[in-house]
Amino acid sequence: MATVRIPTPLRTLTGGEDQVQAAGDTVKDVIENLEKNHPGIRERLLDDKGVRRFVNIYVGDEDIRFLDGLATALKATDEISIVPAIAGG
Amino acid sequence: MSTSSPERDALQQRSALVVGVGGLGCPVALALVEAGIGRLVLCDDDLVDATNLHRQILFSEADVGTDKLLAAERELYRLGARPGSIELVRSRFLPDNARDLARSVDVVIEGADNFATKFLCADACFLEGRPVVHGAAVRLRATVLCVAPSGAPCYRCLFEDLPRGAAAPNCAEAGVLGPIVGFAGALMADRALSVLLGDTRVFGNLVSFDGKTDRARELTLSARPRCALCSAERNIESISYDRYTAASCAA
Repeated sequence: MATVRIPTPLRTLTGGEDQVQAAGDTVKDVIENLEKNHPGIRERLLDDKGVRRFVNIYVGDEDIRFLDGLATALKATDEISIVPAIAGG
Repeated sequence: MSTSSPERDALQQRSALVVGVGGLGCPVALALVEAGIGRLVLCDDDLVDATNLHRQILFSEADVGTDKLLAAERELYRLGARPGSIELVRSRFLPDNARDLARSVDVVIEGADNFATKFLCADACFLEGRPVVHGAAVRLRATVLCVAPSGAPCYRCLFEDLPRGAAAPNCAEAGVLGPIVGFAGALMADRALSVLLGDTRVFGNLVSFDGKTDRARELTLSARPRCALCSAERNIESISYDRYTAASCAA
């Protein structure tokens, strides 16, 4: 099970949890499993073209755009971080 | 940094533009004047509001309803800014003035509350060959990104383009916690001072701070191979109004 770190803007979808576990062999699988337990999160991360423009997904410290995108393979100990664009101050 | 040091002497010859004198811009401006920057340009057109006071540390209750720039200038001089070191630009950072403003300083520090201004800062600074520090804070989270004059990576490598329509995060409803912007503003100032003193190690560095867990994560970004702004395949060669048309998100 991969660990998914949930940024503040998305915690309303995870019951306030900042970290959740999700099964999946790839990043896409993990997102699909996240959606089952936390409906609505997929739409915040993906559109019909893939990862939304203002969202970045990291496996460890690597942006998945520079790995295999949503097909990036995961190990059980991998940590996935979601970095959405924010504007405020 | 001591009151008399080679760094302080060097900073007296440097200049910075602060885009937005709000929750992020206030601590940035304060840190830069306390460090002894030679010329500080403040860009904003807003009035002080009571809802600003919990996080916009240059303002007090007596300033509510008054011009932000004048209130900030007054307080910065009171706190020891060098005489004549502060310039005021009573305007938003807009397509019409962005490149001129960026060109006029050694570093741009933007704490804008909307994506259109963030992308405009990114574009103007790259086109003018200026480093830029981007900062943002919403609720309990803050991010700070420092970009080299040549980008690679730049803000567009990270977030590509304006979020459109219903996909845009609604920061007007989210709110932001005072200490979070204080942390982000301090880090932005630290990055700007590093840049002004010639430290290039901060370029491409992204810090994401989570105020709930008190954890800061640091990432070194990679340049996006086909970035529209800073790659060999770039297609942004000028500032075009229609590239920044999105609803402002006031926090």
